[in-house]
Amino acid sequence: MTGRFPEIDIDAHPRFSVYSAGNLGEVAPQRLSPMSWSLVGTPMERGTRRLVRRIWGDRPWGQGDHYVFLGYFGCKPYHNLSAYAHLARQLPRVAPEDVADAYFEGVAAPQTAARRESGYNRMAAVPRLVRELGRLGPTLRRLEEDVFLVEQHARTAIGLRSEAGLAETLLRAADLLDDAWATHIITTTGLVPLTVVQRAVNKRLLGSYGEVEPWLNRPRELVWSRLHDFAGDEGALLPGEFLNSSFYEVADDQMPWRQFAVRHKAVTEGNANARGLVDPAEAQWGMLGGVRGRVVQSIARVIGETMSSREHSKSLVMRLLHVHRRTLPVLAELWSVDAGVWPYLTIEEFRRLYREPGLADQVPARRAACERAIVTPMPEHLDLGGAAPRSWADDAPKQARGVSPGRVTGVVVHAEDDLPEDVPCILVCESADADVAPLLGFVDGVLTQRGSDMSHIAILSREYHLPAVVGCALVKDLKPGDTVTIDGTTGEVYVER
Amino acid sequence: MSGDMRTEDKEAVAEGTVLVLGGSGYLGRAVSLALDAAGWDVVALSRSGTAAAGRGVRGDVTRHNLGLSGDEAAALRGSVTRIVSCFGSVDWSAGPATALDLHAAGVRTMLRFARDCPGLGGLVHVSSLLAFGRAEGVVGNRELYVGQTFRNWYEYGKYHAEALVREARDLPITTIRFGPLLGPDPSGAPLNAADGLPAVLPYLVQGYPVHLRDGGRFPSYAGDVACAAELVGRAVARPAAGATWTWYDPDLPTVSEVLHRLCRPWGVVPKIVDWPAVGRLQRLVAGRIGLPKALLDYAEPWFQIDPAVLSALPGGIPRCRPGYLDATGAALRAPDADLQGSFV
Repeated sequence: MTGRFPEIDIDAHPRFSVYSAGNLGEVAPQRLSPMSWSLVGTPMERGTRRLVRRIWGDRPWGQGDHYVFLGYFGCKPYHNLSAYAHLARQLPRVAPEDVADAYFEGVAAPQTAARRESGYNRMAAVPRLVRELGRLGPTLRRLEEDVFLVEQHARTAIGLRSEAGLAETLLRAADLLDDAWATHIITTTGLVPLTVVQRAVNKRLLGSYGEVEPWLNRPRELVWSRLHDFAGDEGALLPGEFLNSSFYEVADDQMPWRQFAVRHKAVTEGNANARGLVDPAEAQWGMLGGVRGRVVQSIARVIGETMSSREHSKSLVMRLLHVHRRTLPVLAELWSVDAGVWPYLTIEEFRRLYREPGLADQVPARRAACERAIVTPMPEHLDLGGAAPRSWADDAPKQARGVSPGRVTGVVVHAEDDLPEDVPCILVCESADADVAPLLGFVDGVLTQRGSDMSHIAILSREYHLPAVVGCALVKDLKPGDTVTIDGTTGEVYVER
Repeated sequence: MSGDMRTEDKEAVAEGTVLVLGGSGYLGRAVSLALDAAGWDVVALSRSGTAAAGRGVRGDVTRHNLGLSGDEAAALRGSVTRIVSCFGSVDWSAGPATALDLHAAGVRTMLRFARDCPGLGGLVHVSSLLAFGRAEGVVGNRELYVGQTFRNWYEYGKYHAEALVREARDLPITTIRFGPLLGPDPSGAPLNAADGLPAVLPYLVQGYPVHLRDGGRFPSYAGDVACAAELVGRAVARPAAGATWTWYDPDLPTVSEVLHRLCRPWGVVPKIVDWPAVGRLQRLVAGRIGLPKALLDYAEPWFQIDPAVLSALPGGIPRCRPGYLDATGAALRAPDADLQGSFV
């Protein structure tokens, strides 16, 4: 325990001291229950360590009996920005700023004193990372099948109220969750060096970088649209059912966690924007002939496919979390455990609960700790390197940035509003995740207060060919009905009067 | 070809206000003059706010309300009876953001503005034949996308803009496609020849060879800007909602002929060769010798337009001013032409 935050906190890393909510701050609830943290943070940590081990071997900077890459302070999930900045330096040509731009809203990346890998190790990491990326397709297909089987297993076990069946569901889901998070980490990590490679290659072949790439780096088809078609009735545990629940938080029907859960309204009727135009990316391929064009095209396609894989792996994680959301309350009830207990246990503790019922006795103290934690203001960026915790940087985004190109003027709408007809509208929200995917076919642009170059909403907007700007401080002042112009290339936002 | 054309039969009457978007440009100035001469009340909107005829208004087609204040926009909406879109950049080297922000976002803004004009009787959208890119086979007024690839973002921008216009079936829009427009500026303004075909002149005039397939003996689809403006005026006077018109110089000057005539005032015969090796070399050294790379993509025959598009023009085929190509060269050689700086 740090002793500086309520005792629910994990131990801070002794050397990598700067934490940032980063991408988690955009898409995850501001506070997570201990159960959800154990299903999100812990397997994500394991997945990142697994990746480090496969690429660089057992390294002191990538292991230890404390969390290295994740943090949980005041019930708020964090990424360890220092650790990710250090990880970035272990690849040739990749700088900590590349990671900060991709996933940490451009916050200043901290310097770390940890030793950098040798040049040979950095170079040797490249083919290993490529190998990991090359395995994504088969891994995702296997996971897709296995997750579906677990969902069906959970449905049967819940229907039969079978203790053994439910316990087996949790056991099966545990390994799959680790694998799904590990796959997500590979895609998330891989996108950074891929964009660095693209920058170097395109500067050489095209003479510039940054102008055409936003139009090229598009996923062809993301998994979310299909999943929204497979939501089904509640309880059927169809692949898309989780979309009707909060992401990340499995105790989203219980206080106090319910107040942090984010759910956007899903549009299921009406006509999505028709797009019969030739895609700018396709137009670009026609302009780039020969070997030069094929190289540029190949890199962009790899990046687009990696974006798709990132979203796919995330959807698998969310489906597995949903299996827990449905399974845990039923199993707790069968074990005669109070319904309010399980969110305060970790998944490992819960699995042991039947054999060690005394674990539940710890819950009142932990609940009290959580109640204290959630009323403690927590900064977005946290430096635990000094005598007392302090903010690492201003919480406000540095500047608005365009993450999906195009320019559009439209009326401000919020996710919970009815969308106006016959006028272009721009979805404006603090942050957005894949649960807004059904809205994207009906809006003409996206503007968010939080976000980075590789945010999920950035990837989604690219798939839907919607101009998108993230990190815009003006968002909180915009009201439904206001008219704004956004430029997804430059990040400019004009409030039209 | 003209089956979808619904030209009003009544006699054209030049009454009302025409909003010319991009009114300070090469074509915009010519159109403003032509419409003003025909008796229309012309409002020329541009970023500079200057006008060759009528009233100049400072605005921006890429901004909401065309960049006008609420009151200005409301007043304009109330008075406008016709809109002509002449805005756009002919920069073949422009990137995607520039091309799409101007052509696509600009057209969207224009369409939105037009929908709020209660008295709007017609909208004329000026497009480009280059929207066909590297189309194969014969293309005409009906076609827009025929599986073509595009040489540059300008072509894609024009394609994108015209596609948006075609989708706006609720507005009385006439689309007119032109090829490269040449000829002295009817308003007397100096020519800006940094873009388009004339951009190759500094290179040719200095005696360097240029590779063109078949020696450039393929159609340029060039046309006289004054005639183009006249045709726009015709569409303004007699809106043909949903129709697409295509016009180019019916004498069909080849690219070689155009370049010869443009070079004539310098007393230079351009060295046009059909040597692919020269083309490859030019591509390698284009940046160093000041030759726009985008021009090199036009060294092959462009596309094939169905000649019937000309006879489909209502009111007959406009004829270009005699000697307009020679006059273009002379204008480009004038001391105040932008091209002069390229010879340093």
